[in-house]
Amino acid sequence: MASPNVPPASSAERLAEQLQRIITKRIEEDSLVLPMLPLVATKCLEVLKNPNFSLKDLAAVIEKDPIVTVQLLRFVNSAAIGTREPIKKVQDAVARLGVNQLKTFLVEAATRRLFESKDTRILNTNKRIWEHSLVVASVAADIAALANSGDAETAYLAGLLHDVGKPVVAAMLLEAERSIRLSRPDAVWISPADFLTVVQKIHRPLGIKLAQKWEVPEPVIRAIRDCDDYDSSERSSAANAVRLANAIVKEQGIYEGEVNKDDVEAMVMIGQSVLGVDIGACRQLVGSVRAAVKAYL
Amino acid sequence: MARILTVDDSRSVRMIVARELRALGHDLDEAEDGEKGLEKLEELTFDLVILDITMPVMDGPAMLAKMREGGNKTPVLMLTSESKRSIIANLMKLGIDDYILKPFNAEDLKSKVAKVLRQDIGAPVPVASASEVGRPAAASGGGGGGAGASAGGSGGDPAAANRAFVDILVIDDMENVQKRLRQMVPEHLSVAGALNAQTAIAACRDRGVRAILIDNDMPDVNSVALMRQVRALQPKAVVLALYVRTSNNVLEVAKSNGFDGVLMKPFDVGAVEDFLLQYFNSQDLVSKDDNVLKVSKFKGRENRLDGYFIEVVSNITKYSEEIAAACYGEMVLDVSAVPPNAEKVARMMLELNTRISKMGIEIRLVGSPEIAKTLKQYTETAQMPLYASVDEALRMS
Repeated sequence: MASPNVPPASSAERLAEQLQRIITKRIEEDSLVLPMLPLVATKCLEVLKNPNFSLKDLAAVIEKDPIVTVQLLRFVNSAAIGTREPIKKVQDAVARLGVNQLKTFLVEAATRRLFESKDTRILNTNKRIWEHSLVVASVAADIAALANSGDAETAYLAGLLHDVGKPVVAAMLLEAERSIRLSRPDAVWISPADFLTVVQKIHRPLGIKLAQKWEVPEPVIRAIRDCDDYDSSERSSAANAVRLANAIVKEQGIYEGEVNKDDVEAMVMIGQSVLGVDIGACRQLVGSVRAAVKAYL
Repeated sequence: MARILTVDDSRSVRMIVARELRALGHDLDEAEDGEKGLEKLEELTFDLVILDITMPVMDGPAMLAKMREGGNKTPVLMLTSESKRSIIANLMKLGIDDYILKPFNAEDLKSKVAKVLRQDIGAPVPVASASEVGRPAAASGGGGGGAGASAGGSGGDPAAANRAFVDILVIDDMENVQKRLRQMVPEHLSVAGALNAQTAIAACRDRGVRAILIDNDMPDVNSVALMRQVRALQPKAVVLALYVRTSNNVLEVAKSNGFDGVLMKPFDVGAVEDFLLQYFNSQDLVSKDDNVLKVSKFKGRENRLDGYFIEVVSNITKYSEEIAAACYGEMVLDVSAVPPNAEKVARMMLELNTRISKMGIEIRLVGSPEIAKTLKQYTETAQMPLYASVDEALRMS
């Protein structure tokens, strides 16, 4: 028998449907309010569009945002980059990373902000989704390299953003809960499990919209759009690397939410043949990547 | 040898599968749709069915369902252009053993057929193929040049057996780095170089490697990520980071990043020796081919010369037991590369003569005139026969 404070089992479905309708309508009307890419990232990306940009100008833009400056210096001196000597200047950090890695860093820093929340429940959920995204990103980049796709950076970015709609939905749900409780303080709200179900059901279109708004490369958007099936016409693509990485990472239990074991097994089996990689080697990567991500978090 | 049924509506696919698998000694039969496939299964027992999905009359999933309903548990390998997760997940529920996406390469087909057959007959997986990539026996796979066993199942994996092997792989965008290292390690150790990440990964996929050295500061290469990738391909290899000497606390940093250690550039003779001593078996100082032993050249600092002679004596003694066990009455010992340090050479030969003659083995030395001169200086070694070449020493048998 259901507890009086817990809504019926179908409430998550109904809420998901309602939200999906609202979101779809807003997307169609182009009236959906989505998180902006931070100003510093937008300006940097603008500078980077000029092929003759100067490192000095770029460093000056970054230095205007103290949080990003600190994050950049920490990142460039981290194990992930393996810099020879400690880098203390933003300009040196930019030079060390290069254009592609810097773009990835800026999107990563912006995405990380989306996963922050003052609500403990959402923060914990988001933390696990973020961990999953970081592991998928690194494993996808590794798989892309092992499959000789030559596009490991895109695979990393796509892995990082493949679930980016989830924290946005989570924030929307939190906002909806606040509004309801303002008018009806005793109103019941969905259970944590239902919360995840709703997030799972409607995050995809939001993620795509957000990625489009942030002007990330098209292969990244493709990877967010369809995580469920491989593209057999472009077997070594970054999107396929993300699909396989996502399945292997889920298989290893690094995921927030329900996992359909049959689907995951099928994705691993297909991915192995599509990308022509050794699945044992890929599984091994997950362990070392997870340890690195935990240290990074 | 296994009996395999290919069910595919494409005649060319059936032909290619038959050609590749017959070459491995398998017995092939074929059917053009699911209905005919089931008829074949009624007539004969097969060890494996290679099944397409989309076919006229009766498709692959329908045939598979009928097989399982009828209690037929023959392993099934899907060979299809279908990559939809939902379809493959349903087939997995019905019981498929593996999957290959068309277009496929012959190596992938052979490797997966071998894997499925091996699982079915419960034969052990050859150690090399299972452990090389750290995968469980049931989850091995073809792609990426990974080792798979031969379908014959008798001699292990011919691809792995023929695979090139390299002792040290140097990944550095400066070509001179591998050249310098080559000059400092003994000849019997092979050194290969990769100037970028892609070449390095390809090398690790195609060859067995014992030690991998990765430059920490290659343009556009994240050395830590590359280390992770090469480790996945070569789990048994030791992976060291290459740093320039101006760097501080590098060992600590490298180890926290997951490297096994560091080697500083430019290379120092002592550091290279330490690296070789730590990661390469000292037995490598002596190579053995039947009853012929060849001692490697000494490369290192003078103060390590004593250690070199001790290791050489120890290794030759060890090999002499194998030679005696194989019933050889004589051992050809090529010491041409040994440094002509008179006292040390003479002492080494005395020691060896005492140990090995007890086993009833005659030592036939091969060496330079300089070595001959050295031996003649001492009463105990003056009479030892010395030959100019290994061939000459063998001809005396």
